Amino acid sequence: MSLVHFILSVRTPELPKYKCFKYSKLSKTVVNLSLLATSFCFSQECDLRLEGKVLDLHDNSPISAAVIYVEDSNETVFTDDNGVFVLENQCTQKINLKISHLHCDDLYIGVNLNKTTSRKFFLEHHIESLEEVIVEESKLKKLSSTAQSYVLSELQKDQYSGRGLAKALEQISGVNMLSTGNVISKPMIHGMFGSRVGIIYDGVSIENQQWGQDHAPNVDQNAFDEIRLIKGAGVLKYSGDTPGGVVVLESRVPKIADSLYGKTILNGMSNGRGLDIISSWTKSFQSGKYFKVQGMIKRVGDFEAPDYLLSNTGNDENNISFSLGQNKILSHWKINFSFFNQEIGILRSAHIGNVYDLVTAIELDNPSIINPFSHQVISPKQDNKHYTAGVQYSKRNQSNGKWTAQYSWQKNNRKEYDVRRGQYNNKAAIDLTLDTHNLTTNYKWDGSKWSFDTGAFLQVQDNYSNPYTGIKRLIPDYIKTRLGTYFTASLSPSNDFSLGFGFRYGHQNNQVKKYYHNSRWRTENYEERLGAFVIRDGAGQKLVEQRLIFNNLSLNTGLKYSIQPDLKLSLNVFHTERAPDIAEMFSDGLHHSLATIEYGNPFLKSETTQKFVINVEKQIGNFRYNFSPYFSQGQNYIIIEPTGFELTMRGAFPVWEYRAVSSTIRGIDLDLSLQLNEHIKFSNNSSWIEGYEKESKTPLINIPPFTTTNQIQFSLPNWKSFLMVLSSKSSLRQNQFPNHNFETSVVENGVRMKKLVDISTPPRGYHLLGMEFHWGPYPFFSDKISVSLIFDNMLNASYRNYLNRLRFYADEMGRNMMLQIKIRH
Amino acid sequence: MSKNIYIKPIIAFCLFILIFACSKDDPDPVNEEEVITKVTIEITKVGSSNPMTYNFEVEGHDHDNEGEEEDHDDDDEHEGVHTEIELEANSSYNVSISFYNDSDPADIENITSEVIEEADEHQILYEITDELSGFSIASASNDTVDSNGSPLFQKTTWTTTGETSGEVIGYLIHEPTSKTGNTRTDFGGSTDVEIEFEVHVE
Repeated sequence: MSLVHFILSVRTPELPKYKCFKYSKLSKTVVNLSLLATSFCFSQECDLRLEGKVLDLHDNSPISAAVIYVEDSNETVFTDDNGVFVLENQCTQKINLKISHLHCDDLYIGVNLNKTTSRKFFLEHHIESLEEVIVEESKLKKLSSTAQSYVLSELQKDQYSGRGLAKALEQISGVNMLSTGNVISKPMIHGMFGSRVGIIYDGVSIENQQWGQDHAPNVDQNAFDEIRLIKGAGVLKYSGDTPGGVVVLESRVPKIADSLYGKTILNGMSNGRGLDIISSWTKSFQSGKYFKVQGMIKRVGDFEAPDYLLSNTGNDENNISFSLGQNKILSHWKINFSFFNQEIGILRSAHIGNVYDLVTAIELDNPSIINPFSHQVISPKQDNKHYTAGVQYSKRNQSNGKWTAQYSWQKNNRKEYDVRRGQYNNKAAIDLTLDTHNLTTNYKWDGSKWSFDTGAFLQVQDNYSNPYTGIKRLIPDYIKTRLGTYFTASLSPSNDFSLGFGFRYGHQNNQVKKYYHNSRWRTENYEERLGAFVIRDGAGQKLVEQRLIFNNLSLNTGLKYSIQPDLKLSLNVFHTERAPDIAEMFSDGLHHSLATIEYGNPFLKSETTQKFVINVEKQIGNFRYNFSPYFSQGQNYIIIEPTGFELTMRGAFPVWEYRAVSSTIRGIDLDLSLQLNEHIKFSNNSSWIEGYEKESKTPLINIPPFTTTNQIQFSLPNWKSFLMVLSSKSSLRQNQFPNHNFETSVVENGVRMKKLVDISTPPRGYHLLGMEFHWGPYPFFSDKISVSLIFDNMLNASYRNYLNRLRFYADEMGRNMMLQIKIRH
Repeated sequence: MSKNIYIKPIIAFCLFILIFACSKDDPDPVNEEEVITKVTIEITKVGSSNPMTYNFEVEGHDHDNEGEEEDHDDDDEHEGVHTEIELEANSSYNVSISFYNDSDPADIENITSEVIEEADEHQILYEITDELSGFSIASASNDTVDSNGSPLFQKTTWTTTGETSGEVIGYLIHEPTSKTGNTRTDFGGSTDVEIEFEVHVE
């Protein structure tokens, strides 16, 4: 008897609006496979039995009370509680079935019977209930089963849509903003920033020279639907070398339905006379295909401090991103591309020549250069471009497993312009191009009690430092290869208790080619330890090729326990190993804003950090608090410190070098909220932190001072869509700081004198008052419109911020009024 | 259909292999174009034709011969290179200052002409300490003036009276905020060059 290849025909009757015919292909495959095995005999008998089991396509759960109607014989049977039905006395023929259920679309399927058969049928839920599944899933897709993760609400996210990622994240207690001027800012979590904080977008960590204090993340947060954060290295899936924390930017998968929707936000701000427009559109189809496009255009001029204009602080931004994909529930593919381009002016007065200029700037109350208002950005400035392209594919299997593979490419180009003489003024002083390729794959399995996620990653990174700048390279050329694997598991025996464990192992190979100037080579006596690696020598420089290998293992474990329904406790322990950055090992250059020469230390070892985070969450009636103390200790913790002076034709400059120390950082984050009545809600979030070197007890630099923010939210019952927020932020003076002051000898008014260069003393504390009014959403033609009016620094307070590197030169921004119009299409 | 799905990762993987196979090319050395590494002051007594030349270079500079390096005390408050200029009392001197980039010894670049060309964006300032009394520096008649008629002080006349000695600091200021004043802070801008020397009038 020949093997018969069955082709099942699927009848396509008048389709209801939501229909899951697209899954029939899958069912067909399943049928083919299962029937092939049973198709050896073929006889005309009518004593065959078809035993079927009807299951939910998404979670494999049996569907009871489904109606099975045999069209050829008008026979009807129902499934039992286990989803099982039996059709007796069937003939050897093709029978056509219609399987229907209250919450599902009808499934029309033909079955070729030639012997007694048992098989499974998968029913697809209606879109409405499907949505629930997807929503629920995204809820389940927690970053960590045991560590507290923070999510920005849509209001919080949109409110800061025009002001950068760090500013948006600053609303979370324990998160600060390390800035350079008014626009360049990067998130600082529990006193750590830069390479110690991971920013993950679309599943890969952003590679944009994040080591630099004045390098803001080159990503438009508006291209993502969700911004989440974990304080601590809690997401080993994405990174194992970020003891500070992880910020995860993610896009939601669009609905499976024919629809077109979007959001447009228009922000206008008085300070800087800026305007930006952000728009995102998603077109999705019944087939699961979708297309998403998002863009942003931003133009901002010079900002104003209460007493003067901050010349050359304008910025422009143009971003665009596309993604195209198809969500078939059981499988999903996506292709994405994005381009980010930002030009940021740096306060003109902050570009100085030597230490004496720095002393003068510190002594002056006002910036030395104040020009009329302008939207034009001149040197000094940064021009950053970031391109991303990626493709990902994921597939679920019937046993709640999901496999994902992803390739992504990133190209980051950073150009920094200094004030230079004549022909060089339009030539970048720093021109770095970083190409990163990431290939990752992972398998994730969720069970009722256990779930695990494991994967492997490969990253190849190529950094090119353009020599045509005419200034020695700040960062050498290198190729970095990283590969490794991770495994995370969590056990939740009950809803009240979960345990988590994970590890990530990474092997890193850096091939670095760096030029050392002979003078530096001699003073540091590099010949002894690096002499063997010299591959070229001449013109006062030595080219050294080194291969540096680091093997790092990061671990974390934690538990989360609901002692009572209103009292939740979690404890997490993170052990992190981080290979030193190329910048920490090899940087070599002059910083014009701080008049310092920075040198890397090529002999640094991996930095290890242990961090303990406790989180207590309690609800007492209308009062809720979240109390989170943490402690971290670092070995080989890499810091930069002044170590001496170097003489140049411009005078003597302090030299800062990287060094490894043992460190301790501890702090407390506290969030309180009290719902006084249905109209008024009071909330507070505060954070206190201290950090110092273990042996010498010297405080660490750039540790945020105690900060507390109080908020009163007020809503009126008659005006359902009105919300008013009054907020007050106080930041105390940081009294724990390392003293890096030094003396310099200058001639002033004909007399040589010594002057103290006070680069360490933090500025006074400050208090800021803000107010927000939110109206909406209201119907607006076929769309919905919301309007917000936001006042920052309402009292126009003059203040300086310890965490701003340009604090020596000018005050922070004064009062700002922002009008935000948001339209949901 | 499902075959297609694997093609992309495979292509990506091949790309990786390709990248792996490549090694980084040797980077070109950076030719530091803009830095001033050497300053020269040429002093000619009025009526004489024998100029005296003083060079200011950073010690430990890559082209210094190691033997020539002076001992430099790190605690010395005057961090500069000590150059002593001997002048006669009651005399006038024509002085010109020049700036060079000699990071590439094969191609020493004279930056002075550039400074002169961009006189509007530059200012040379000699700040004389009080102890050096009776000594003055004025713009020479052949000095460069900027578009506002402000002298650059590239060519100067130094006038001595009685015996005295003291320090002079020379600055090349880039983009000064003001072109008049007596002391460095009056000018603003950023310092491109700072040299110091002792003047002995005997």
